[in-house]
Amino acid sequence: MATAIENLKSIKQGAIQDLIEKGLLSSTRIYVGMSTCEIAAGSKDVWDTFQKEIADNSIKDVQLKQKGCAGRCNLEPTVEVLQAGKVPFKYINVNSAKAKEIIKKHLLENSVQSAERSESLKTDPFMLTDRSKFVFGDVDFFSKQKRITLRNCGIIDPESIDDYLSVRGYESLAKVLTDYTPGQVIEEITKSGLRGRGGGGFPTGLKWKLVAQEEEKEKYIICNADEGDPGAFMDRSALEGDPHIVIEGMVIAGYAIGAKKGFVYIRAEYPLAIDRLRIAIKDAEKNGFLGKKILGTDFDFDIELVLGAGAFVCGEETALIHSIEGGRGVPTIKPPYPAARGLWNKPTLINNVETFANIGVIILDGYENFALIGTKESKGTKVFALSGKVNNTGLIEVPMGITLREIVYDIGGGIKDNKKFKALLTGGPSGGCIPEEFLDSTVDYDSLKSLGSIMGSGGMIVLDEDDCMIDIARYFLEFTQNESCGKCTPCREGTKRMLEILTKITAGNGEEEDIEKLMRLANLIKKTALCGLGQSAPNPVLTTMKYFKNEYDEHVRLKKCRAAVCKGIISSPCQHSCFIGGSGIPSYIGLIAQEKFDKAVKILYSENPLPIICGRVCHHPCESKCRRGKIDKPIAIREIKRFLTDYAMENKMDGMPVAGDEKEGKVAVIGSGPAGLTCAYYLALEGYKVTIFEKLPVAGGMLAVAIPEYRLPKALLKYEINNILSLGIQLKLNTEVGKDISFSDIKKEFKAIFIAAGAHKGLKLGIPGEDLPGVIDAVELLRDINLGIKINIGQKAAVIGGGNAAIDAVRTLNRLGVKAELLYRRTKNEMPAWQEEIDEAIKEGINIQYLVAPVRAIAENGRIKKLECIRMELGGIDKSGRRRPVPKEGSEFIIEIDTLVPAISQEPDIDFVTSGNGDGIKLSKWKTIEVNDETYYTGSDGIFAGGDVVLGPKTVTEAMSHGKVAAGMIDKYIKGEELTRKYSVTKPAVDVAIVEMTEEEIESLERFDIPMLEMSQRKGNFIETELGFSMHQAVCEAKHCLRCDKEEKE
Amino acid sequence: MSDTIKINVNNKDYDVEAGQTIMQALDKIGFHIPRLCYHPKLSVEGACRICIVEVEGAANYVTSCTAKVAAGMKVRTNTADLRKARRDLLELILDNHPIDCNTCERDSNCELQGLSRSIGIKKRHFTGEKKLYDIDLSSPSITRDPNKCILCGRCVRLCAEIQGVNAINFAGRGFNSVVMTAYNNPISRSVCINCGQCINVCPTAALSEKYYTVELFRELSSDKKLKIVQVAPAVRAAIGEAFGFPAGTNFEKQTVAALRKLGFDLVFDTQFSADLTIMEEGYEFLERFTTGRDLPMITSCSPAWIKYAEQFHPEILPNISTCKSPMSMMSSVLKTYYAQKRGIDPKDILSVAVMPCTAKKYEAEREELSLDGAKLTDIVVTTREIAWMIKSAGIDLSKTEGEEFDNLFGFSSGAATIFGVTGGVMEAALRTAYEVYMGESIIDIEFAALRGFAGIKEAKVMLGDKEVRVAVAHGLGNANIVIDMIKKDPDRFHFIEIMSCPGGCINGGGQPYAGSEYVALDEELLKKRASVLYALDRAKTIRRSHENPEIQRIYKEFFERPLGPKSHKILHTNYKQKYPTGVYKK
Repeated sequence: MATAIENLKSIKQGAIQDLIEKGLLSSTRIYVGMSTCEIAAGSKDVWDTFQKEIADNSIKDVQLKQKGCAGRCNLEPTVEVLQAGKVPFKYINVNSAKAKEIIKKHLLENSVQSAERSESLKTDPFMLTDRSKFVFGDVDFFSKQKRITLRNCGIIDPESIDDYLSVRGYESLAKVLTDYTPGQVIEEITKSGLRGRGGGGFPTGLKWKLVAQEEEKEKYIICNADEGDPGAFMDRSALEGDPHIVIEGMVIAGYAIGAKKGFVYIRAEYPLAIDRLRIAIKDAEKNGFLGKKILGTDFDFDIELVLGAGAFVCGEETALIHSIEGGRGVPTIKPPYPAARGLWNKPTLINNVETFANIGVIILDGYENFALIGTKESKGTKVFALSGKVNNTGLIEVPMGITLREIVYDIGGGIKDNKKFKALLTGGPSGGCIPEEFLDSTVDYDSLKSLGSIMGSGGMIVLDEDDCMIDIARYFLEFTQNESCGKCTPCREGTKRMLEILTKITAGNGEEEDIEKLMRLANLIKKTALCGLGQSAPNPVLTTMKYFKNEYDEHVRLKKCRAAVCKGIISSPCQHSCFIGGSGIPSYIGLIAQEKFDKAVKILYSENPLPIICGRVCHHPCESKCRRGKIDKPIAIREIKRFLTDYAMENKMDGMPVAGDEKEGKVAVIGSGPAGLTCAYYLALEGYKVTIFEKLPVAGGMLAVAIPEYRLPKALLKYEINNILSLGIQLKLNTEVGKDISFSDIKKEFKAIFIAAGAHKGLKLGIPGEDLPGVIDAVELLRDINLGIKINIGQKAAVIGGGNAAIDAVRTLNRLGVKAELLYRRTKNEMPAWQEEIDEAIKEGINIQYLVAPVRAIAENGRIKKLECIRMELGGIDKSGRRRPVPKEGSEFIIEIDTLVPAISQEPDIDFVTSGNGDGIKLSKWKTIEVNDETYYTGSDGIFAGGDVVLGPKTVTEAMSHGKVAAGMIDKYIKGEELTRKYSVTKPAVDVAIVEMTEEEIESLERFDIPMLEMSQRKGNFIETELGFSMHQAVCEAKHCLRCDKEEKE
Repeated sequence: MSDTIKINVNNKDYDVEAGQTIMQALDKIGFHIPRLCYHPKLSVEGACRICIVEVEGAANYVTSCTAKVAAGMKVRTNTADLRKARRDLLELILDNHPIDCNTCERDSNCELQGLSRSIGIKKRHFTGEKKLYDIDLSSPSITRDPNKCILCGRCVRLCAEIQGVNAINFAGRGFNSVVMTAYNNPISRSVCINCGQCINVCPTAALSEKYYTVELFRELSSDKKLKIVQVAPAVRAAIGEAFGFPAGTNFEKQTVAALRKLGFDLVFDTQFSADLTIMEEGYEFLERFTTGRDLPMITSCSPAWIKYAEQFHPEILPNISTCKSPMSMMSSVLKTYYAQKRGIDPKDILSVAVMPCTAKKYEAEREELSLDGAKLTDIVVTTREIAWMIKSAGIDLSKTEGEEFDNLFGFSSGAATIFGVTGGVMEAALRTAYEVYMGESIIDIEFAALRGFAGIKEAKVMLGDKEVRVAVAHGLGNANIVIDMIKKDPDRFHFIEIMSCPGGCINGGGQPYAGSEYVALDEELLKKRASVLYALDRAKTIRRSHENPEIQRIYKEFFERPLGPKSHKILHTNYKQKYPTGVYKK
């Protein structure tokens, strides 16, 4: 009697013969992605186009075939052109037009040349594990993957058993049936170290053994394809891409444990996977891989599909079993385990799709080779559905032991839109959120568990700064609550209460005790729920509470949602993201849309003492969270604000309020920057007598001496400062505390002091030669230029750094006719400067050298002449979440310069505090003043501090917010009240109706770019580059606002 | 004998039997772990999680109702953390439960309330949304209030496992989980057989009898009608429990006295009509036995069984005795013979029945049991309801002397008394049938084989040279087994007694709640109640129905003979197949 292997050979020969007869092997093959995801991306059109084009052009020798999903979600539809002897050619994001192009160029004109297949690839094109690299090429997305179970996905035609046979399909089954006893199969699987891929990680071999040991004659195999996690699509894609691999695994399992019947429990929402499985089962039966006398042996095995109605809990094995039996999908208590009493009380082996997909490779490559992949305790690979805020979303298969960081940054290609990574969610609603600090943890069952998450079946969702962790936790809890079977108390009632508390918190109604209650319930449910669903339901809450506790505190106490997501707290994201909160953005935008400019001006001025300045130099965090930005681009809020201030000035509208009745108590403000000015303004409004001490000959701090004229005209700055001073504030210029007046005298004279001295001292680069003449810090350089002090710069300059000061310096130098370039040690993606500033600098013709760092300054004639630099490359991710620059050895080079401008950062320059007078004032290691972070009180004698002197170099609005809060606190201090802050949710300044527009009006509404000064007019002068919106432009822009403030609460 | 193993409980070693659950072991050594969904007569659900204990080495708490003891196991039952967890679990249940104890019929008799007190819930932490469902008042027997349901699933398991009816099950997910009938039909349109056993196992008032107490009080305060009440045998065996007397107290005479105090004009004994039933049923059996028609014959006293048969075994309907139940026979007699005899319009008679049974309320509504379109039995109240009414009316039982039933229908044989316990109808019937058939007295009239609480009891009786094979089943799960037996072997039995409720009427769905000493379906409790009836039987001089002189008189004066045309018209009925909602005749 022929062995199974011999039988397979003859089946295969028949099949291959068939292929040759049909001329398939020698012809060109076009594979079009036809999985659910590909079809959703439009691949049906592509398919139809190919079919039509091939017919219309009567192209011979070409086969149009479908393939499953290769995992590149964001690049679909994908098309692969395979020609004999050539490396496959891939096309991405194909549409009908592109398909026509492919037919024309690739097939008809033959003008696209695939590379010749290289020798190394030629040797074993059918080797199992590394085949994907051969097909897909060595791109980042694939190079760190290891595809075992997905080895054929996106490569073969899932509806063709011949395709499967051509990639060594059913060889492992034949091998097992010929050479192995059932016991040997189990031993092989045991030794491979394979663990269950459904999430729990139970050793597969042991599970098989337990079922095999049962004396009962009737046994069953169940393949769990009831994938239900939000964001998980591994099983669907695998079954759609390569159904036979699972069938083969199941038949082998049946042989090993002595079962004759298998069930695939698959959710009915996966119609394509179901269709393909049906076809595969039929084909397998026809070819003798299923049914009676498999491959001519005495072994019989059948597979039946059972469609689940889509209950998440039916992924739990006992619930799944009840569902197959026709009962309600509800878990029952284990033991007895299904291995002993499962389906219809018979011993039952339940494994997940991916587990079965691993069996064949273990048999064919041998357990030794399989066990080489992965870690000590977790062998092999794991498939993940990578989704969320990464650039490359998709289906990936990675070796166990790979770090999460490699998945996010190498395979995933980093975070979309250069946003900041926040957390990685594994295991779906049963998993947990892993923060940045643990990204170097490896992918294996135990390490993920130790982080409070789980491997799960393979959902992996990347979250960024725009995701609110409370909202995420709430979302998943809502899911588990809806999907809870309702049997046990903690899961049914407890998750409901947790959900209520989370909803309360996200609605802005959270109380401090809520966090404690949440914790109490989470721990209760974890320790008392009946099944895995319940026990793991609190995981998203527990991990977010562990790793993102501050966000809970912010929501509950500060009524702050930093991601600007929670509707009840934020009202509109723009307004909520503004540091000088309640800046009335949606209200004045709404009024502008209605062309009620006077009213809009009033709102703007009532909320912001420095609107002209903010309208020009604010870094507008409001725009980064603008929801319109998720559709096309954010509303140009700063530009609209600027328009309003221009309008106010033009129409001589005095937006300024009047100072209140005079109050006892004089207040000193040290520094006239945005923090100092704002503080003085609000104190003056309260009626306090305020004196501002300014060291420099001009007021405005950094606004006056660091920000170049072309961004903020001095006349406007003066106008705005005069407005503030008109409230009766005394300004003493050229008065340096500690030199022109002693700090102790101020302390004697004034009841309270607000130190807002800024951070004006440039940091050293720390390289040899930086004390040479010709090395001048950016802040100093800009100050001198702004104050009109002559400095010798020479012809060529290099600015070091990537922040706004660096950009300001290099653009200023450029305007002065100096040939200045910018050196930055990372790439553009990591630059902290604002994108539009970088873009303008580039437009102005400034050369930016990325990945370059200075090594030493070399002098000639007593002044710097050369700068030795070294090239860098990006390594792993550092604490800031950006990739760390690492010097490339031997890449040193020298540039010639006359002036070197370091612009890496600044620190405060406050000798009057450090020189013995600032008793009780503490300094941080960055030399900033330490204050209570809510009241900005230093703790010493009525002395408050804020702005850059506390924060280090930060933004205008942050400084202003400090000034505003400090003014309130100083008021309380003088009145002898307790220094506490009250927080409330963000609310629009006034309720403004939405402008009604017809569809046509909305369609025809123009969107304008911000008008900019022509490049040709920028040389040799400091004319303001941004020209501001016209009234029409501002109104159009305002009409594009989505008016989140009017959105109904959930 | 099973092995003994050592386990450690709260730092002390104990020898316990291997193979049992932690809860069983702890019960035996004197630790009562709080529990809610657990019921010893039902399968283990493990849903409420209240019975958790700490087991050393287990990551999570372990439910003691499901986990088995193991040698060397270290269990802690009362640590602070564990108490807090149990407390929180129970609070979660309470948080989704109405706070209306003071208006709830199970106030002071509610397991949830008792547990809340014993676990020590003083403060509420997690209040939030509560479920809000309509109360299902559609059934004449059973009221379903899903708002009070804590989803322990005892009713579901009972209905499936003990009764084999599956009228209710869980539906919905998560917080929206609810116990409902198929298609969420009103219970009156479901396959519910009205047995009321679910009420007895329900820890709260989610299931209760449909109460007719208001209506009855109204009728009692009116003078228009002659107010007649009949009392079923099982009532007297259990009603004392409702007044705090120990189980097994005979309360026959106090009940009669209390009913008079309530305002009834006449208090009759359903046992009288039980004797009448035996006359008809005994003769009916003999007729069938001798002719061989529609054998085996099955008793028809239990209305829940009748509905069960109509729905699930319509093919067996011809085998069911055509005799009305004793309650309906009494009502029929009252509104025919008695009305005639007293010369009053049957419409002026208020016929009330005090029954241990919720299904009797349904029986009273049955169309085929009406007389000229009017109900035979006007109002049926359960033992629980009448006990409440007695209390509510301020009737002080300590100052109430026992009284006798009224004449005409107040006298009964011992055979009628034991109707209230499983096997009793069969025993009573055999006492009469034997003597009628053989024409001689039976010596040992106590049929030991038909007594006790085995689910199915079989016996053989020789009628001369003819063997009569009889079976007794109680609990419809057991009935189903017996029906399967006769489907396989139609000749296996000649006569079968079926009672819907396990233990018979003494454990009816309308009997007093088991209280704190027993659990529902507890055999010890059933034995105590049964002992009352057996003792009453033994104490009587007349222990055979046909010897009851009142019975003899009614035949002489009115019915002429058993199975005669008059009795056929008044005392017999017929049943039709009933299709559950959603199931139609092909």
